[in-house]
Amino acid sequence: MKLPPDLSPLGVLEEQVLVAVLRTRGEAYGMNVRREIENVTGRELAIGAVYATLDRLEAKGLVRSKRVGAEGPTRRLFELTASGARALTETNTMREKLWEGISVRVLTALGRA
Amino acid sequence: MEFLFRVFYFVEMTPILPTILLKALVPRAERDEILADLTAEYAARAAADGRAAAKKWFWRQALRSALPLLGWSGRREVTGYIPPANAYRPGGPMLPIFLSDARYALRRLRYRPAYAILSVLTLALGVGGTAAIFGTARPVLLDALPYANADRAGMFWMDGAWNEEEFSYLRDKFDGFARVAGWRPGDVTLKQGDAPLRLIPGIAATGELFDVLGAPAFVGRTLQVGDDLIGAPPVAVVSYGLAAELGGGNVPSMLGKRLTLNGMERTVVGVMPKGFWFPTPAARIWTPQEIHPDRRNGYLTLVGLAKPGADIRHMGPYLARIVQTMAARFHYAGQWDKTRNPTVTPLRENLLGSMRPAVLATLAAMALILLIACVNVATLMLGQIEGRSSEMAVRTALGATRTRLTQQLIVEALLLGISAAIVGGGLAAAGFGLLAHALPIGAWGESAQFDWTLFAVALVAAIGASLLIVLAPTVVLWRGDVHGAISRARTGGIVGRGSRLEHGMVVTEVALAMLIASGSGLLVRSVMNLYAVNPGVDTGSVAVIDALAGNGTPVETRQSVEAIVAELSQLPGVTRAAGAMKIPLTGRGNSMGLLIPDRPDIKDVTTYFRVGTVDYLPTMGVRITTGRNFMTADKVQGPEVAVIINEAMARRFFAKQDPIGKLLEGGWGVKERIIGVAQDVAEGQLTDAPSLTRYYLAGTVPWIVPSATLVVRTNAGRDPAAILESARKALQRAAPSFAVSRTTTMARILDDAVGPARQIMALLSLLAGLALVLGAIGIYGVIAHFASRRKRDWAIRVALGLSGGQVVAQVMKQGVLLAALGILFGIAGTLVLSRLLTTLLYGVSAVDPIAFAAASLVLLAIGAGAAFVPARRAGMTDPALVLREQ
Repeated sequence: MKLPPDLSPLGVLEEQVLVAVLRTRGEAYGMNVRREIENVTGRELAIGAVYATLDRLEAKGLVRSKRVGAEGPTRRLFELTASGARALTETNTMREKLWEGISVRVLTALGRA
Repeated sequence: MEFLFRVFYFVEMTPILPTILLKALVPRAERDEILADLTAEYAARAAADGRAAAKKWFWRQALRSALPLLGWSGRREVTGYIPPANAYRPGGPMLPIFLSDARYALRRLRYRPAYAILSVLTLALGVGGTAAIFGTARPVLLDALPYANADRAGMFWMDGAWNEEEFSYLRDKFDGFARVAGWRPGDVTLKQGDAPLRLIPGIAATGELFDVLGAPAFVGRTLQVGDDLIGAPPVAVVSYGLAAELGGGNVPSMLGKRLTLNGMERTVVGVMPKGFWFPTPAARIWTPQEIHPDRRNGYLTLVGLAKPGADIRHMGPYLARIVQTMAARFHYAGQWDKTRNPTVTPLRENLLGSMRPAVLATLAAMALILLIACVNVATLMLGQIEGRSSEMAVRTALGATRTRLTQQLIVEALLLGISAAIVGGGLAAAGFGLLAHALPIGAWGESAQFDWTLFAVALVAAIGASLLIVLAPTVVLWRGDVHGAISRARTGGIVGRGSRLEHGMVVTEVALAMLIASGSGLLVRSVMNLYAVNPGVDTGSVAVIDALAGNGTPVETRQSVEAIVAELSQLPGVTRAAGAMKIPLTGRGNSMGLLIPDRPDIKDVTTYFRVGTVDYLPTMGVRITTGRNFMTADKVQGPEVAVIINEAMARRFFAKQDPIGKLLEGGWGVKERIIGVAQDVAEGQLTDAPSLTRYYLAGTVPWIVPSATLVVRTNAGRDPAAILESARKALQRAAPSFAVSRTTTMARILDDAVGPARQIMALLSLLAGLALVLGAIGIYGVIAHFASRRKRDWAIRVALGLSGGQVVAQVMKQGVLLAALGILFGIAGTLVLSRLLTTLLYGVSAVDPIAFAAASLVLLAIGAGAAFVPARRAGMTDPALVLREQ
């Protein structure tokens, strides 16, 4: 079943997974994506959550996968689609707009008080 | 080898439980890669951080993945989304495939309405009938008895024959039993204000009864020892239903209420819980049975609770000792000798055992019908498959696996099954009431509740049936060759394969129908034999009213009976009326010893005795063969009374002489002069051999029971039942203290005496009819299919000179051959299974050739009839048309 790309705003985990797929480009297997997110955020992530999210993103048309590997079990290798790239850009733009005029330094000071 | 190594390695390395969890949850297509990656990382972690840390990590991964994985598979099921990368991987979402199969099956069924409706109806009949019979029979077959001691209690031998003297003597001497209770039927009349008396069915029991059963009261207390003492405060225990009815829904409020029962005030001391019954669900009230240590009328039944450590099924040694105690104290003789063959039957067997064979036979017949229905639908489906062989072939060529095609067949069968379950459940609901009364299970039928479990049973039966049905087409599918099918479809060739299976199924079907038909044939013969037994009374045009007397003395009771008889005789349409203590065909009743002066050789002889008003014998249509009937002038109390003996007595004691004028003694303490001999009557059971019986005129001997049976003979040709209502009113006018306990006719009493076989015969005949119809449909379907498949064949032969009649004969031969084969198998099966019916049969062997022959003929005729229609169509084949068409 082919669905039109879904352009609703990304969830936090979706955003993280998309970025991780981008960062591990060429090596973006499920397990690598998980490790990448764990490394950056410093928090453990369940592999099931990563695969479920990747599948949902593919269903939305934001990533696509193909099977690679000749020895042992083949793996799904993910890459960003054009829609995925657009969604990430949009999310990023929205975040920047949201943060506009807020000084990180003032915020950190508030956090310490 | 490598595989083994990997398994070993895998199990050794990753913890087992989380691995199993992950395997179960990860979709099939991704399972290998995810597990391989996790294992690799686990190994790396174990090497770096130690095994304990790695294990912990693995557990966390598995547990925290569980929820997202469930969501993942769930989403794939619902949306049917398959990533392109998985397109050629095994697994995939089941639901969308199922849905598309269902849609496809629905579409196919819609375009073949005849096939769909026939299949659903056929199955629904089987499924609905099975569910309804199962629901009705459940209380008898499955439900637990509502007594804690059901496994430790049992009913004594000689039920209804123990007297109070025996019971009071033996009460504390029952070896091997913790407690023994005595009970007897004890329907009571209930008087509420000015309303007419009501009859409440129940029993009278000694104080031990509820302790023996192990049944505590819902509120209040049960009967206890002491309630049955003479002069004890009168009490009663009522059923939950009766308490709810009398208390207007407030059950506990009935405690302490006083009820006027049989003209006597009794205090309600307890209410039994919902669902309690003893000895049948019809009983609603339990009153104490007073025990007079000097009364010798035998009417008690004993029920005992084995003492701890004793097994109720093996009480032999204890019973032997009890019998010894009895023999030392009492003198027993003849057929009433209680010291012979003492046995105790466990409660379940005693209360429900007699109904089991009838219920099981019906259930078995119904299961067979369901099987026939399955075979029928399978045959229909097989025809469909064959008609679709080219479609199947094309689909196979395009890549559909056989598994996939089978899956589709299963979906289609399930769809038929579920529709059948819905229709069948409706049928079951509609037929339930009907069945509850048709099955010979008495009050259990009335208490059987229709509930939703019936639909569940119907659904389970239907799904089971669907899976059974799909077997045959599946076999054909897996055996069939695809290329052959394609080429045949093009050339319209003869299909050889599959027809053998089809024929096999029809043979099975006929065999099953034969089982049911010969079973009901046996029952029909048996019931015919029972009706052919001459009961000695004229059962036409006699109305019967059983009445309970109030608390009057024997003289008052007798006078009331005479007053009622006088009132009844005045009713329009009545030719004769009489009253009696007991009428024929209603059980053994009273008996007493016989002495004949000058004949000291006659001792230890007991006879039945019956007491009635003047016209009793003529009203019942009992002929006086010698001497005369009673006259009003005979009604004198004195040292000598008139007696009429039956032919059995005359034969035994006065074989070579005229009994008229001879004297008898025994029982009443007076001399009895014989004035007549009456023909033998089935005084006890219908099939009993003629028993010695003496008849007395009411007023010359005491009316010793607090009840009477009134019999009314109506004008010939008039329905005796029509007189019952005015007779009941006449009875109330003449004797207001009497309560009517039953109104019926002699014909109905004869029906009851014929027993469960009669009712089950009606039901089995109905089922046999159903089986025959289904069998005919099956034969018709197969022969029609056979004929149309070979259309071209026939056409060529007709073109070459075969006559239409010969074609008809050949096709018919096929049908009759199948039927005959089925009948042979059916007879073989019947020989094995008819043993189930043995207890219901009378005067017929379970291998009765006449019943078999009749059933065979009927089936053969039906087979020929069902084959004739398609045969005729084949015979009228126009070769030119057929050959051009193909």
